[in-house]
Amino acid sequence: MKYFIILILFITILFAEDTITNQEQSYQLGNGMQVGELPLYVGGYFSLDYRYKDGENRYRIDDIAFLAYGGYEKISYMAELEYKEFYTLSEKDDAYTTQKDTRLHTERLYGDYNFNENYMLRLGKFNSQIGFWNLLPINVLRDTSSNPYTTDIIFPRFTTGLYAAYNSYNNAEIQIDLTIQHNEDLDPSYNNYTMDEHHSLGTTYTQENISLKASIGMFDKYTSTNTTQVLYYALVSLKYETEKFQFMSELGSQKSTQEYTTPYAFFAQGVYHLNQEHAGIIRLESYEDKVQNTQDNIAIFGYTYRPLYPIAFKTEYQFHKLQNENQFLFSWSVLF
Amino acid sequence: MVGAILMKKFILIYLISHSLLIANEYAIVANKSIHEASLGQIKALFLKKSSYIKNKKVVPVNLSSRNPIRIHFEKHILHMSFNRLKSYWTKQHYLGHRPPISMKSQKSIKTFIKKVDGSIGYMELKNVDDELSILYKWSE
Repeated sequence: MKYFIILILFITILFAEDTITNQEQSYQLGNGMQVGELPLYVGGYFSLDYRYKDGENRYRIDDIAFLAYGGYEKISYMAELEYKEFYTLSEKDDAYTTQKDTRLHTERLYGDYNFNENYMLRLGKFNSQIGFWNLLPINVLRDTSSNPYTTDIIFPRFTTGLYAAYNSYNNAEIQIDLTIQHNEDLDPSYNNYTMDEHHSLGTTYTQENISLKASIGMFDKYTSTNTTQVLYYALVSLKYETEKFQFMSELGSQKSTQEYTTPYAFFAQGVYHLNQEHAGIIRLESYEDKVQNTQDNIAIFGYTYRPLYPIAFKTEYQFHKLQNENQFLFSWSVLF
Repeated sequence: MVGAILMKKFILIYLISHSLLIANEYAIVANKSIHEASLGQIKALFLKKSSYIKNKKVVPVNLSSRNPIRIHFEKHILHMSFNRLKSYWTKQHYLGHRPPISMKSQKSIKTFIKKVDGSIGYMELKNVDDELSILYKWSE
């Protein structure tokens, strides 16, 4: 544990020096770097976390990811490959277990074609453009180590298929988007649902600091009995952001052809930035999942320290209504 | 007594009118191939949410990050502080978007915009000439 902390501090200071000593034109942490004069930028991120829950200590190298992207004229592309839950060490009652997943997953792989100011088309595997949280889901860009349950149970987090968007930028920004998947997932092992069909329609309205978004969709979920189940979902989202304060809330529901599988899943999160480095977070969650037959209310209190924006040290404590689910989380994540 | 009050009012009016007279004026300017753009479109271009005005490809150009005119532009047009923009561009790196190119002086921006089709930037109004299109003006 001691060496783990020393390693964290050493690498953090090393990265911090890099950013401070170099000027605008050279490499800056969190911005990636260009490969020669090519339309290719590379970067990545990683995260390590610790969890204490119900008498168990868990240490994890969670994400190690590599990014490559670029563009020329109307075309641009993005590739993200990731080791997920790369190494996990758990300890409970002096019994140790380890797990490794050394598969390199395809998290995102897509190409964009921008027709003009208003229309764009995307083809490949991408973050489902549903809600606000799911657009920037990686640890270092989140305000807490954990994700809300809403973002994990209502809709597929990734889609492999077509995405089309209409945008209008005037006094208010308006976006209307459409997602169509009618094929296998590019990497089925890296998604919260295994499925081969996903359709969604969404609209976003942004005026100054406030954004509102609504999405509806359906997907075919593979079940353990090798059959599929059609599920429908709806999600409404609200985001308000100023220099010091950010509020985000999402409310969703999911149903099958027969019944509500998730009657509701909701979260509301407030982030107050004490200054550039320090932020306090409160998140309230509630959900009912009829597939797992669980209902929980959660209150999360967190604190995040960012010596530089692309480096985040986060702690949080979760109070659950469900028994034995209270937990403490700590994570360290870096975007480079 | 009345004379003193009048004198105070006179000084106050003088100071306000003087500050208005010396207020700096700025302009968002573009290559002659661009004739108009709304503030919403300009904001979207400098935040790289869009790279077009209608069907025309646009190249936004910034002054260097600590330049007072850029800070003024970011505050009054983008409505974002230096720190908020730093976090914004870190998030955009994950989404595959790069910030606009930046140049050290208004003179370099002026030369660039005159030469490069579809380019857009900002500068003090006194530096603008007839070879640039003025899209928007504002003052301190």
